[in-house]
Amino acid sequence: MPTSVAHATGLPPAVLDRLRAIVGAEHVLTTDGDVEPFARDATPLFRARPDAVVLPSSTAQVADVLRLATETGTPVVPRGGGSNLAAATVAERGGIVLVLTRMTAVKEISADELLAVVEAGVTTSTLADAAAARGLLYPPDPGSRTVSTVGGNVATCAGGLRGLKYGVTRNYVLGLEVVLPTGEVIRTGGRLWKDVAGYDLTRLLTGSEGTLGVITEITVGLLPMPETSRTGIAYFDSLADAGRAVNAIIGGGTLPATLEFLDHACIGAVEDFAHLGLDRSAGALLLFGDDGSPRDVAESLERMGSACADNGSHGVELATDVAGSEHLLAARRCSLPALSRLAPLTMLEDVTVPRPQIARMVDDIEEIARRHDVVCATFGHAGDGNLHPTIVFDADDVDARARAEKAFDEIFGRAMALGGTITGEHGVGAAKLPWLRQRLGDDQIALLRRIKAAFDPAGILNPGKLGS
Amino acid sequence: MTAPHDRRVVEVSLGLFDQDLLAACISCGFCLPACPTYKLTLDERSSPRGRITLMRAVDSGRLPVEDPTVREQSSYCLGCRACEPVCPAGVQYGALLERWRDLTWSGTRTPPVAAALRAGMRMTPALAAAGRVRGAARTTGRARGDGLQLMLGCVERSLFPGVSQAVTRLLPGIEVPSGQGCCGALHAHSGGSAEGHHLADRLGDALPGTILTTAGGCAAHLVNVLGRDRVQELSEHLVKVWTADDAPRLDPVLVDGRRARVALQDSCHLRNGLGVSTQPRELVARVADYVELPSAGTCCGGAGTYSLLRPDDAAAVVAPKLDEIDRLDLDYVVVVNPVCQRQLVTSLRRRGSTVPVLHLAELLALALPP
Repeated sequence: MPTSVAHATGLPPAVLDRLRAIVGAEHVLTTDGDVEPFARDATPLFRARPDAVVLPSSTAQVADVLRLATETGTPVVPRGGGSNLAAATVAERGGIVLVLTRMTAVKEISADELLAVVEAGVTTSTLADAAAARGLLYPPDPGSRTVSTVGGNVATCAGGLRGLKYGVTRNYVLGLEVVLPTGEVIRTGGRLWKDVAGYDLTRLLTGSEGTLGVITEITVGLLPMPETSRTGIAYFDSLADAGRAVNAIIGGGTLPATLEFLDHACIGAVEDFAHLGLDRSAGALLLFGDDGSPRDVAESLERMGSACADNGSHGVELATDVAGSEHLLAARRCSLPALSRLAPLTMLEDVTVPRPQIARMVDDIEEIARRHDVVCATFGHAGDGNLHPTIVFDADDVDARARAEKAFDEIFGRAMALGGTITGEHGVGAAKLPWLRQRLGDDQIALLRRIKAAFDPAGILNPGKLGS
Repeated sequence: MTAPHDRRVVEVSLGLFDQDLLAACISCGFCLPACPTYKLTLDERSSPRGRITLMRAVDSGRLPVEDPTVREQSSYCLGCRACEPVCPAGVQYGALLERWRDLTWSGTRTPPVAAALRAGMRMTPALAAAGRVRGAARTTGRARGDGLQLMLGCVERSLFPGVSQAVTRLLPGIEVPSGQGCCGALHAHSGGSAEGHHLADRLGDALPGTILTTAGGCAAHLVNVLGRDRVQELSEHLVKVWTADDAPRLDPVLVDGRRARVALQDSCHLRNGLGVSTQPRELVARVADYVELPSAGTCCGGAGTYSLLRPDDAAAVVAPKLDEIDRLDLDYVVVVNPVCQRQLVTSLRRRGSTVPVLHLAELLALALPP
């Protein structure tokens, strides 16, 4: 079944006039200079000039824009904070980049119902801070939380550092207000943890990468804020050793809030930026942490520290207070940008394997990198089996780039062979589309296309990406 | 299976910018929340990341230097460098901005006010005369050696002559060499980086020792050109030399018989460029009750020539800060840079606020026994 895929070649003046009538002339950008900053996101090597950038301030405006786009066959690429790492917000077919950062209302924080209602353009940190001010926790904490929007987090099902104990964005999305490409405004789910009326469209839209609808308002579940949280660090000779310690920790019955690891190169890069006094000579570092009552947290850290020491760690340090723990976590969130200090171009991947396979996967990554002669640093969410191998090279080194691509291709193949996936939390976007069929198979790809066509008959939403 | 990557694009460069500086940015966006103009607009174009994307487009020839957005954004940027300390990739935004302004404000494209200031600050004898008339510290003749030498500044000696006077009381006997011109920071930040570097070199010749400056903006520029070891900003110097056993007697600064409540406005380039932020706080706390302004580390909108070139935007940037100053019931606001002093003095006056603004040197001089 052929799907429509819209492709713009410049928008007619009449369409631009109607867009200006909808959102106001100052919120429709069309000049080369004005659209340039929206031609890319945080993905290297992907850029495409949109015909227009449109910044709506309300759901009604979004609906009017989408109705117009469907009527005129104009591509629309929704965008939040622009921190996407898979080029999901790059307008490869031209058309409109629809930026939701003006929709910034935190509409409700309910301590009684343990939920929050926010507009799509609210940043993840703003939501988390607003919840914390009421003694509540919004657990998903992607690395780019100060920039990324909740709408973008839902559209990509963002993960973060607390995935092991708390899950990822999808585990907290209770309800969505979504504008369909044809202009209808629907509300999926709601304020209920239990609700099985109909297909679970909330989950389908979570991680749909702006291909099925534009998310304008989100209702998220919250948790009571844990009394305290602490982290510690264990140093190892290799990432594989750290991976084995992770299995020992979880196999021993501890489900900690945080289990992150960094290899030797990452430790150096993070230390260059954050100056925390990390041991640069170590082969790898495991950052472990937990939250809860002070007694439970102390016990949990004690157990994890011992498990590390019993499994090859040659040094365990516990942060003495919450502030110290926060510094360690903040430094860990900066791993990717800090790694860019190593070379001008930084290509990051996001493979995920079943947890017991981590040690094997990191060994394989190192072997593959060696064989293709590329500089590869790896960090990741060890507790989730989620690895971010990052290859760095000079921008004009065409040969190194080709070798990096070959290496990543093998890394993807290896992850899938171990029962893993090509992306754990960054998404498919344009960057990982070439491997999607291999991951899902022909039948599922065909089903994705039928789902896409049901939502988006004119094929206007993020065309050429997921489901096209 | 090998995957085709024909969707990836390759950037070309016309060599207008330093490639290493440009390549350091990976567009992660961690800078956005730190940027005052992004905070005001929530508009990617007015963010450090968006501006670097514009510089890249200029560098690759996709956008001409004359593009209205390129020109507007290079001018709308405060140049406060708040994006630098929060950047995990270590992007040197300040250096990129200097280059960008060289391109967008070159020749006839220089805003007339900036051109006039650049020309005025070139005239060393006129600066010296203005300083004398206004009563800045007396010079002590030509530089004698390689000790500590007080720089008088160009803006400060005319607008706030009391600052250098105060320094000569805090550090009696300090050498104040004659023949000092402008350090060129103003030029470097407004499209004349070559002249800015030349003026800094010339000042380095007039003050061949360790240059002591009371202006955070000048300090950062001089460090950039002359090197870290040639420059001491006043607060970092005093914290270093006023040790427990070797400091002058300082009495508390009193207001209505109680210790004064004093807040600090950081100098952006001192804080973000040189990493000096604890020292002025420590010195204030020695003589008064220090009150942290929530926005102390955020630009006041003075920003070199900014408040003269874009008064409305400068007013929008400073507005939340003035609210804080009102709310905190302060006796003084202390600054460590003359442009901040001018901006806060004029903004507070316009608002009808009576909170006095002092340079740190002036506050400390109040604490010296009579």
